[in-house]
Amino acid sequence: MSLLTMILKMSEGLGKTCAIFFLTLLFSLPLGMIVALLRMSKVKLVSAVTRFFITILRGTPLMLQLLAVTYGPYYLFGANVARNKLIPVVIAFSINYAAYFAEIYRGGIESIPIGQYEAAEVLGYTKLQTFLRIILPQVIKRIMPSVTNEVVTLVKDTSMAFTVSYQEMFTIGKQIANSQTSFMPFLVAGVFYYLFNAIVDYMMGRIEKRLNYYK
Amino acid sequence: MKKLFAMLLAFAMVFALCACGSTASAPAAAPAEEAAPARTSFIMGIDPEYPPFSYLGDDGNYTGFDVEVCRAVCDSLGWELKIFGVNWDEKLVQLDSMECDCVWSGMTILDSMKEAGYVISEPYYDNTQVLVVKADSGFESSADLAGKIVAVQLGTSGEALLNGDLAELAGTFGQVLTCDSFLKCFTELEGNAADAVFVDMPVAASYVASHEGLSILDENLGAEQYGIAFRSSDAELCAQVDAAVQALVADGTYAKIAAKEEYADIVNNLLFLSK
Repeated sequence: MSLLTMILKMSEGLGKTCAIFFLTLLFSLPLGMIVALLRMSKVKLVSAVTRFFITILRGTPLMLQLLAVTYGPYYLFGANVARNKLIPVVIAFSINYAAYFAEIYRGGIESIPIGQYEAAEVLGYTKLQTFLRIILPQVIKRIMPSVTNEVVTLVKDTSMAFTVSYQEMFTIGKQIANSQTSFMPFLVAGVFYYLFNAIVDYMMGRIEKRLNYYK
Repeated sequence: MKKLFAMLLAFAMVFALCACGSTASAPAAAPAEEAAPARTSFIMGIDPEYPPFSYLGDDGNYTGFDVEVCRAVCDSLGWELKIFGVNWDEKLVQLDSMECDCVWSGMTILDSMKEAGYVISEPYYDNTQVLVVKADSGFESSADLAGKIVAVQLGTSGEALLNGDLAELAGTFGQVLTCDSFLKCFTELEGNAADAVFVDMPVAASYVASHEGLSILDENLGAEQYGIAFRSSDAELCAQVDAAVQALVADGTYAKIAAKEEYADIVNNLLFLSK
């Protein structure tokens, strides 16, 4: 098999890799905010339960969570295994990444001095207004580097979808490597991931710059 | 720049010194090695999830037909047996990188292995590939699976067949689903995400025997043989192991291992016993 056919064959799976990437971001970024707010809830029970879930999601391998979401329902209730593996994959990834994003958001929100809340109150802002107009914009600016970190990791983590037989780019690479007894596909995969991340890095850098309107 | 160059030079000198050290001591050690090339241990590379050839036994130790035979070989040659669980789709790379001395675990002999220079033992097992379907599915032959989803384990001979000799048949399937373990293949089948599993006969037989509602299609799709793979430089080692296995066959130890209940599914396919 020539290098070109190898690259073409693997780029077929690139679409599926992208699907995991974008759908995970689409769901996990807002979900993370909800989790962060629950985690900071003044109701002790809510924050304790949320905290417990975060420890589970951060404390167990993503691979295990993928297996649990995909095959768990079958083993527990005899339910059908999803034919379209994208669904369980995106669910598992979104939940997992939401836990990480939640902690990043929390760190950002808690870094805003309490004086700003007090000032906003004096100026007659409601709690929601204070959060949306004053706190959140600053939080987003502060957490961008940490979010970029997670997003870059997500690109590479998509390769884990292989464990539940989702035929994304790395899975196809492994299949080719196997049938051709060649290491070349792994090199190609490495280049693919690197280029993907170079684009992500560039985009995130631009967003960060855009947000730096006070500097 | 100058500083950097100086540093590199310093490194180079250190390496040069190291190199001197090793060459200087080599001649002293060499005669001893030549005089006693005696092997004291043997690292067996296995797929730890391939019953009944090699698997983690109930007692937590690796066992299986191949493991027991290898243990008997090592006992007869006075080697200490070490077992190394390989990553099946990287097995030959791990063999080359000295992580194990052989791959001995229900391994199908492929022409590509011989072409790549690996030394392969005498074939000891005749393997056939079969399709496993749900008993109530109504599928009777591979032709009924046109447009359906067939699961196969990555790195197995079944997968190689579907990409090679059986590519035409694979083309009629709706999708070939590659999983990283045969257990996942069967879970896909039982969970209705796949319509059939393409797998080695002995694995199919043992799984179908312990799980209800599955049946094996009466159609042998690829007849292949199992052997032991050694590094290209280990022809002598291979001959030594082959001879030791033959000695076990001759003195009945081999048949005794094969007669165990847990190997009932494979005993008929063992080539050394049918001769």
